[in-house]
Parts: sequence; structure tokens; C-alpha cells
Amino acid sequence: MKSRFDLMLLVVAAVVLAVLPMFVTGYVLYVVNLLMVFVVLALGMHLVIGETGQFALSHAAFYGIGIYTAGLLNNHFQLPFILSILAGSLLTACLGYMLGALALRMRDIYLALSTFAFGEAMQWVFMNWNSVTNGSNGFRIAPAQIFGYALTNDLRAYPFVIVITALMLWATVWISRSQLGSAFRAVRESDIAALAMGVDVNRVKRMAFTLSAAYAGLAGGLYTTFSSFVHPESLGFQTTILVLTMVVVGGIGSVRGAILGAIGFGLISELLRQALSFQEIIYGAILMGFMMFAPRGLFAERRKRVRITSTTHAPAPVVATRASGESA
Amino acid sequence: MTLRLRLTVLAASLCTLAHAAPALAQQEPGISEKTIRIGMFAPLSGSSMAYGFDPMNGAKMWYAKINKEGGIHGRQIELVIEDDRCNANDLVAAAKKLTEQDKVFLLNGGSCSAATVAAREYVEREKIPLVMLNASGDGALYPVSKYIYGAFSISQYAVGGSMVQFGAEALKAKKIGYINHDDAYGAWNLAAAKVQAKHLGDLPLNVQSVNSNINDVTAPMLRIRASNPDVLLLTTYARPAALIIKKAHELGFDKPIVLAVTGTADLRQLVENVGNKEAFKNVYIQDVLADVPGSPKLQWVYDMYKEAYPDLAARPGYPQPYMPYGLPSAMTVVNALKAAGPQPTREKVLEAMSTMKFDSGVMAGPIEFTPTDHAAQKAAIYLKFDGDKSTLVPGTFKSVWKYEP
Repeated sequence: MKSRFDLMLLVVAAVVLAVLPMFVTGYVLYVVNLLMVFVVLALGMHLVIGETGQFALSHAAFYGIGIYTAGLLNNHFQLPFILSILAGSLLTACLGYMLGALALRMRDIYLALSTFAFGEAMQWVFMNWNSVTNGSNGFRIAPAQIFGYALTNDLRAYPFVIVITALMLWATVWISRSQLGSAFRAVRESDIAALAMGVDVNRVKRMAFTLSAAYAGLAGGLYTTFSSFVHPESLGFQTTILVLTMVVVGGIGSVRGAILGAIGFGLISELLRQALSFQEIIYGAILMGFMMFAPRGLFAERRKRVRITSTTHAPAPVVATRASGESA
Repeated sequence: MTLRLRLTVLAASLCTLAHAAPALAQQEPGISEKTIRIGMFAPLSGSSMAYGFDPMNGAKMWYAKINKEGGIHGRQIELVIEDDRCNANDLVAAAKKLTEQDKVFLLNGGSCSAATVAAREYVEREKIPLVMLNASGDGALYPVSKYIYGAFSISQYAVGGSMVQFGAEALKAKKIGYINHDDAYGAWNLAAAKVQAKHLGDLPLNVQSVNSNINDVTAPMLRIRASNPDVLLLTTYARPAALIIKKAHELGFDKPIVLAVTGTADLRQLVENVGNKEAFKNVYIQDVLADVPGSPKLQWVYDMYKEAYPDLAARPGYPQPYMPYGLPSAMTVVNALKAAGPQPTREKVLEAMSTMKFDSGVMAGPIEFTPTDHAAQKAAIYLKFDGDKSTLVPGTFKSVWKYEP
């Protein structure tokens, strides 16, 4: 039932996205492109936090590395954008693999702090490595090329952004349903239990960080297809928190939650710009509302309450267990 | 086809073309028979609101005045306003919305330099004029862009150079301490400060760069004190400036401190944040207005504000110090639209702006553009500020910095 609903949702979304350029302005396409970047970022965050239960507060840094790598390769070597964004994603995957080593030695708040430190250090690099990043002056990105076709505006970039986002969504669902996805969730529930079940916990954690970083790097590359400028100030902790909010409010552990959280919060952020001085109050109220009435997020995994009845007629305990088959 | 039929078709075609010609002229975005639509953006919320809210009010009141006087060639100015939150992504979104959805004729906005620079590629691709509100926006002005004009308050390159010139000339400094931000405009004003120091015979410049969110300035202030400068120049925002002035007083640093215009958004608040008027015994502030705010020379601006926004003007702290900075940018737009004639096009407006020069009656120097320099204002005045009153130090001080491609 659920997958039928998801399929219908996907078909409707695909139709809407396909006909959208015929009816809307370039500004709307810009917002959609940006939302798709948020979706890819949120899917990456979902893999490491939602699926594997590891704290990672370094997404803005990987996102930034993706932007600068793709932008630099594009500006200086005029690489086809597919190659330039793949290079950014590959580089972040390697860095994510190394950062994953932290996850083997730390957990919870300590892991969060370490990844946060990595994010801050990278922002410092973006800000101060003037010869490469142009430092605090910001980095200008020339229009990306694909077989000589220049992505000079949002309309031209739109099909590529949509296709790559769809591919990343497919990849996420595939990973989630694979053995690796099961291993991710086993580690999330308990390292020790996963180990007892024969899961290579170290490898799984490293994989989660690697994949998550690769997603963020790819999101950075996508950003360069329709945006012509990036400033290090927009690659700080605030961006990581924004993506984290999308995943948490959408519902930790749910692909649907990550996508709808990304779209919802991206849209709210843009729409609130029209609310002028009240926007922070409205944003705060929305967040508080979510935390009060849907603390586990809008599309969190539902946990079935199972009543176990004792044969000795003792008071029946209520135990929360995961619903079978729910992985995403 | 008979000759008569051919002639009829030809006549009909000519008639169609004759009717279509004015219609084509009307197709310039944002221009209708009765209105000219202008897109404005600035930080209107959040912590950077002081840089945008009241300058935008200043610009709006100038546009309202022009509308009251009959508009420009019979057209009323219509404003569409967006909040850019002082953030590059939000600013680009605002510029795209105004251009593509609201179909404005030109853009008049931007109060934060780093964010405004983000719009450069977009406005160049769309060929839409961008007249900055009060951002210095040096990163978008150099190298010169046909479509971008700014620095109506002052170019950041001019800020750093002018500060060093003032320190050396008016305060006779032989060694200079300099604290800037580690962001875009911090880098720009430092570049000019270095050029000025070199120009003045290699004046030693001890530079400490701080983050704009810094909470503890003890370390940079100790380093500054250790270098024993004759004057300390601050080109920071108001919050770090308050922390530094307070710390300087605590550390017994009694040399003159000169605060750049970027840190003077609300002097009353600055004194409150420092918490001790004694700390202002030897403080100077840079200003880019024609005279001390509230002086008879500038009274007309404040009277106009009171008339336009009586409720706001009655509130303490209003108008904010940066309010007048919004006027020269609106004046430039109005002058360029007037010069472009009754059938304005973006090209005509850009052409008019490229050689514009006028005295705004608001700023320290003239608003002056050339085809190779689109930074409007380069002069600064300095005031001795005792924590309460400001007294003008005679003269204006300019930077020698010149853009070299």
C-alpha cells in the first residue's frame, strides 16, 4: 500500500516537474533547482544519520568542497559538467572515508563535535586559501558546459538537476533496500548486536560517511550548474543545521521524510523572505510546532506498539518494536 | 496578385509596422505608459537589518517625492521590495524574482557587500542595471561592469586608504594598528590601507584580522598594544568595534582609536554596549555625509524623513545613522531615468549613468561615475566623538588606491 502511494507520488512529481518549465518563470526554476540540491544534501544526511545513526555535522564542508572542485575544474579546464561534478563527489567521498575513521573511535556528541570541527576548519580554508578559492571575495563560477551546451540559466540547468536528483533518489532507495542498508540499520540499533550478527561495523560506518560525503559533494556540483557565485559565508554551520533540520523534521530514518523536509524547509525559507520582519518569528513558530506535535518528524518510521500477553495473566507490558519491513 | 492587391497588402503591412513600433518601444520590461517598476532589495530582517532597513526608507522617500512632483516624464515610480537577509543566496533569489517574475526595469538594492557581489554574474547575463543601495560592493565594481553602479556611501577601498591618511595626516601617526574583518570587505579596505601606508613612506601597519562574530577580543588587542601604535584604526562592524573599544579602555590603551563608517550604525547603542563613556575620550569616527548628522546642512534630509515616516521618526534611535545613504542611490536612478528621456531603455539609462556627476547635498563628496569607474563616493570626513557629541575635524580625506586590472 505504502509503496503504491510512493509510486503514485513519484509519478505525479515527475509529471509536474516535466511540464513545469512551460508554465513558470526562471525564478521558480531557480527555486526548484535549489530545492533539488537540498534534496540531494538531505538524502546524504539521511544515509549517515537516519540509516546508520551516526552524528555528522560536516555536510556544509563537503558541499563546499563539491562546489569549489566542480567550479575550479569548470573554470580552468572547461570540463563537461558531469566530469567536474563527479570529481567533486569523488574527492568528498575520499575525505568522507577518512572522516569515517573518527566514527570508529568516537560516538554521539564527541563524534558530532569532531565533524563540526572539520566543517569549521574547511570553512576557514575556503575563506583564506585566496589563491584557489578567492577567499572572502567569493568565488565566481563560469557557466558549466555539457558537450558544448552552456548552462547559462536556470532553465538550461533544470533538466540535468532533475535527472541527477532522480538518480540520487533511486540510489538511496537501492542502498536502503540492499544488504548494506540492512547493515546500516543494524549498526544504528546497536554496534554490539550488529557485530554479533556478523556485520563489519567499521566498514559499515566508513561506508556511511563515504556515501554521505559523496552525496554532499555531488550536491555542491549540482549547485554550480545553475549558480554563478558562492561565498564561504554560506558554507558554514548554519547550512549544516538547515540540512539537519530538514532530515529531523521530515522524519529521521525515512527517505520520504528527508525529501519532503528538504522541499518543505527550502520552500518555507524562500517564502518567508516575503514576510519581512516577521519571518524569524514565523520560522521559529513552525519549528516549535513540529517539535511539539511531531517530535519524531513528519514521516518518521512508525513503531508498532505490540501487546505481549503473559500466559500467567500478569499485567501486560507494552513494548515498542519496529514495524516489520519498514526501512525507509 | 494584381497591382492594387499588392499595394493594399504593402499599405496594410506598413500600417501594422507603424503601429507595432511604439508597441515595441513599450516592451522594455517594467515600463508602462504610466509607471516605471523598480526592484529594491536590502536586509529588512535579522541582525544586519540596520544596514538596509532605514537606507531603503531613505531611498523610498526620495522616490515618493519624485512621484509627488509628477513622476519621471509623466510616469510614476512603482517599487517592488524584497528582503535579501544580507545573504548571497537570498540576494540572488531576490534579484531573480524581481527580474523574471516581477519584470522590473532595473534593480536598486544591496546593503551588504559580500552578498551583493553574488548578483554580478546574474545581472550581467540578464543585462539589467543594478544600482546598489548602500553596499560598497567593491567586488562587483572592480573590474568595472557595464551594468553595476555602487559605493554611494563609500567604496571599501576608499575606506581603508582614507583611514590611514587621516591617521597619518590629522593624528600624526608614525605607526598604525589596524583591525579589520576576515571577510570580503575586510580584505578590500586592507588592500587600500596597505597602498596608502606605502604611499606615505612605508608607514608600519600592524594588522589584526578578526571574525565578525568574535566574542573575545583580548588576544588581538594585546597584540596591538604590544606593537605600540600611535593610532588604532578599526574597520569592523559595530559589535566587534564595541568589544575592542571596551577592551582597549580596560587595557589602558590611551592612543586615538578611529572607527570606520561600517561600525557606526548606531552610536547611542555603541556607547551603551561599551558601557563607559570614559572609553570614548580619544575616539574618532569616520563619516561619509556632508556634515555632522543633524547639522543645518543636512536638516532637510531629517525633516523629509519625519514627514515621510512620522511614526518611525518618533521612535528612539530613528532615523538610524545610515538612513541618508539611501538617498544618493535613488537620486542616481531618478537622474538616469530623466536623462534617458520619455522612451527609456536599459541601455539609455546605463549610458546616462556612465558619465553622471552631481552633488547629492547628502554625501561628503560628489557622486561621480566614469566609464572606467562605477564607484560613486570616495571622500570621507572625520568626527571627534566623546560618547555623546560629535565635532567635525576639518577637511576630507581620500584614498590614493586605484584599480589595476
